[in-house]
Amino acid sequence: MRPLDETETTAVFEKIFKFTGNNLKNIVENPSHEGPDANPGRYCFRLNKNKVYYVSESLVKRATNVARSNLVSLGTCIGKFTHGGSFHLTVQCLGLLASNAKHKVWLKPTSEMSFLYGNHVLKGGLGRITENIAPGDGVVVFSMSDVPLGFGIAAKSTQDCRKMDPNGIVVLHQADIGEYLRMEDEL
Amino acid sequence: MGTKKGQKKQKIILPPELPPEIADDEIEVSDEDLQFVDENRDYAGFVSRLDTQSITKHVTRVADVKEDALEALYEKRLKKKQLQKEQEESKLEVDPVDALPVKTLDGELVYRKVTKTSKPSETNLGEEGETGEDDEEGTVDKSVIKLTKVERRAKLKKIKKEAKKQGKELAKTEVEQTPQAAVLAEVEKDITAEEAFEDKRLKIAELGTALLCDPEANIKSLKDFLQLCKDDDHAIVKLGLLSLLAVFKDIIPGYRIRLPTEKELQMKVSKDVKKMRYYESTLLSSYKAYLQKLAALEKQSSFQHVAIRCICTLLDAVPHFNFRESLLGIVVRNIGSPDDVVRRLCCSTIKSIFTNEGKHGGEATVEAVRLIADHVKAHNCQLHPDSLEVFLHLTFAEDLGRSEKPDDKNKVKNKRNKKRKNVEEPSKLPENDRKRSKRELMSKMREEVEADYKSVAFSPDLMEQRRMQSGTLSAVFETYFRVLKHTVQPIAPRYGLLKYTLLWYADRNSKHCIVSSSSEANASLSAGAFHSHPLLAPCLRGLGKFSHLIDLDFMGDLISHLRTLAGGGGTSDNTSGKRLTVSERLQCCIVAFKVMRSNLDALNVDLQDFFVQLYNIILEYMPGRDQGEVLAEALKIMLCEDRQHDMQKAAAFVKRLATFSLCFGSAESMSALVTLKHLLQKNVKCRNLLENDAGGGSVSGSIAKFQPYASDPNLSGALASVLWELNLLSKHYHPTISTVASSISSMNVAHNQVYLSNVSPIQAFKDMSLEQGSLSVPNDLKKFNGKRKRGSLPSRPEPSLDATSIDEDSLREKLSSHFLLLRDIKENQRLRSELDHTTSSLQLCEEYKQQKIKDKKAKSKKISLLNGVSK
Repeated sequence: MRPLDETETTAVFEKIFKFTGNNLKNIVENPSHEGPDANPGRYCFRLNKNKVYYVSESLVKRATNVARSNLVSLGTCIGKFTHGGSFHLTVQCLGLLASNAKHKVWLKPTSEMSFLYGNHVLKGGLGRITENIAPGDGVVVFSMSDVPLGFGIAAKSTQDCRKMDPNGIVVLHQADIGEYLRMEDEL
Repeated sequence: MGTKKGQKKQKIILPPELPPEIADDEIEVSDEDLQFVDENRDYAGFVSRLDTQSITKHVTRVADVKEDALEALYEKRLKKKQLQKEQEESKLEVDPVDALPVKTLDGELVYRKVTKTSKPSETNLGEEGETGEDDEEGTVDKSVIKLTKVERRAKLKKIKKEAKKQGKELAKTEVEQTPQAAVLAEVEKDITAEEAFEDKRLKIAELGTALLCDPEANIKSLKDFLQLCKDDDHAIVKLGLLSLLAVFKDIIPGYRIRLPTEKELQMKVSKDVKKMRYYESTLLSSYKAYLQKLAALEKQSSFQHVAIRCICTLLDAVPHFNFRESLLGIVVRNIGSPDDVVRRLCCSTIKSIFTNEGKHGGEATVEAVRLIADHVKAHNCQLHPDSLEVFLHLTFAEDLGRSEKPDDKNKVKNKRNKKRKNVEEPSKLPENDRKRSKRELMSKMREEVEADYKSVAFSPDLMEQRRMQSGTLSAVFETYFRVLKHTVQPIAPRYGLLKYTLLWYADRNSKHCIVSSSSEANASLSAGAFHSHPLLAPCLRGLGKFSHLIDLDFMGDLISHLRTLAGGGGTSDNTSGKRLTVSERLQCCIVAFKVMRSNLDALNVDLQDFFVQLYNIILEYMPGRDQGEVLAEALKIMLCEDRQHDMQKAAAFVKRLATFSLCFGSAESMSALVTLKHLLQKNVKCRNLLENDAGGGSVSGSIAKFQPYASDPNLSGALASVLWELNLLSKHYHPTISTVASSISSMNVAHNQVYLSNVSPIQAFKDMSLEQGSLSVPNDLKKFNGKRKRGSLPSRPEPSLDATSIDEDSLREKLSSHFLLLRDIKENQRLRSELDHTTSSLQLCEEYKQQKIKDKKAKSKKISLLNGVSK
């Protein structure tokens, strides 16, 4: 377990910034409410075996007691670095992104399952969409009852969505909560 | 008599060639005719009753025009007519022509008695056509003489009224009314200035009446009229302008005059056509001269009001006529005028052009809108708000676009059909060549007929209308976007115009001080005076109104502009003076929502940024400074009518509205409470706020603590809070608010209420602001409160009841003590009267004692006994 170095930090922050915009500040400055400490510390990012974790400081202190080889996981895993050095967000960070998301898409109940099986979001399945999405922005996908289902990358701007046919792809799939079942071993 | 009949008939059919005048006795009447007349004497009876004089007049007029008539004949006939006229002169007073009487403003009936005079003057015109223009003065004079006294008096009265309108004091009009003075004024050479004034006024009146009663004959006198308007005397000029206005309004035809081209002039035409052409060209040229005069006078401050009034009335009355462009140009130029009267006139004129499109077929609308757009561009959006306010009166027929679509489809179908035909035709070609040519001929004919029909048809062409409408729309939105862009853009590039702006504001502000009593649009005016976006408010209002017509392509830009504006507009240069007011920012939010809602039925877009803005604007709202209606509208459109909300956002708004309604006026809090109730009814989970359990637990999401200072509703963690505010609100001094608050707090988490209140925030706001007047006396409030509580909510357990019941107890105590006192007083009175009675009886007894002194011992005993009892 070690803190992220400069390049890793930028890679992680850039990725998260895509989804949350200026709310990234909230993620970093969020006071932790874990542990018995009187004054709550902050959250920080730690790297362990290619995986990046979002951990409260009190937990980090306690985790130092565990040997690196024995430490399987701590806090919330938010993503991993690939062999090529690029950073991928995993589905576990969905809660973090959802509460700070800048761009959101709500799915119609009929198309929820399709998304949870790993398909892209089509125009026809769109229940609601936030204004002012540009192509390439990170988008968090919700059900109509505000349950976060996953996230992805916007393929079209909100403006373009209006003129699209129902079969066009609006959001490119990246992760969804169906992965907890489908890829149980990998996570 | 026979000839006359013949002439009459000929006159109708063929004007130029008439038989020469033949005396009656020269005609040979055949026996057969006589016999016929004798046999049918009854039928011929009307002939003897014919009004020969009037017929001759009609007929001779035509005969005069005859080309080969001799001059001597004219003169002779003129003399004859002169005689006739003199005869008629005496009759004129007696027989009023049966024209409809005119009712003047003060309810007086004025009969026109002029038509007789007009007929001879018509003949004059005929002569002029032949003999030349040199006797123009003469004819005018004649027509002047021919006016009767009564008519003159009527005209005088009219003039007086017009003059009074301008606030002119007219002295000694009574003297002129007597006929002798009128005659004298004509004769006398050395007249005083006042008399000259009267004289000119009379002349104006006479010219005007002559023109009105027979414009065709007197069209020449328009030029004299114009001459009169060049007088040195301001009053005369004004009178002349106004009278000319009345004349033009009356005689301008219902069509646009097109002057004949060179080619047409060379062609041979009949007399009537010639006459008509002459009439039209004279009318047009004098109208043009009149307009030039008006345009010149409009720049002089002393004449500005009159000139503008004339121009506006003309544009209003005859928008179809020639020179509309120049009229429109002047009106639009003055639409943002600092002068209140002028501006209002111009605005109302433009409005009437927009609303009465039938008068001009919509062309003037396009021109006016275009001109206003250019005007706004030229003045860099520094104009009076009224100048954009007029756009709100535009109407766009929505079915135009729809009816166009089927056409397109038809076209496509036709094309397909044609294709099919083309495929089929080659095989059939050899056999029916003739048929095809016939068909072609038929179709050609049909096309021609259709084109003819179109050119004549009363209803304007659909395509044309569509084109005009799209032109109008594009100009309107161009203006709106220009204003928006100008508002968004930072100050720096505007510095060049600063001086102008300052000047303009100084001018306007001074005016504003003078007319500040006129409360019309006062709020927007004062708002406009303090920052440099005077046009923003009407622009936003217009965008809201026409939001359904905005092209989808503009929408992205529009929304992004609105977003920056709602965020306070150009926050990068944070000079305090340049920031938009709260009402304007709210307006921006409202417009954005309207635009979105009216354009997107299919795609449901969540305008998150605007919610963030609204969330923060609510804090900045100040009841006195900002417009409550706007806030109520924003609440309604953004929170009540939007289909879906996130739970977090809804909770945040619920919390904020509750806090908000604690500290503002009752009307605002009422609208806030209604919205709050609506939100709680829609979002079941938000009712956790009503539970007495801070923290929210798992529902509150990632934010465990309520953060009142968060600027984003999604991050405020409002679900972790409790709506304590409702408890305070249920003790609100206003009974309605307290009942609403307590009803909200009694809403249950468990059972889902299907009933949705249908009172909108706007409605609630209006009701409360109306009610506020009646509830302004604070002393009444307590009583009213208690009564209401007792009357309407007898058994509901609520915290507020304690306070009122305490009040009641104290009141009861007071009342009972009061009544006890009253009862005591009455008791006292009763006792007193009893005492009096007994004392009087005692006296009586003593007298009795003195009288019957003998058995006094027994009596005295009794009395003492009685006394003891009574005491």
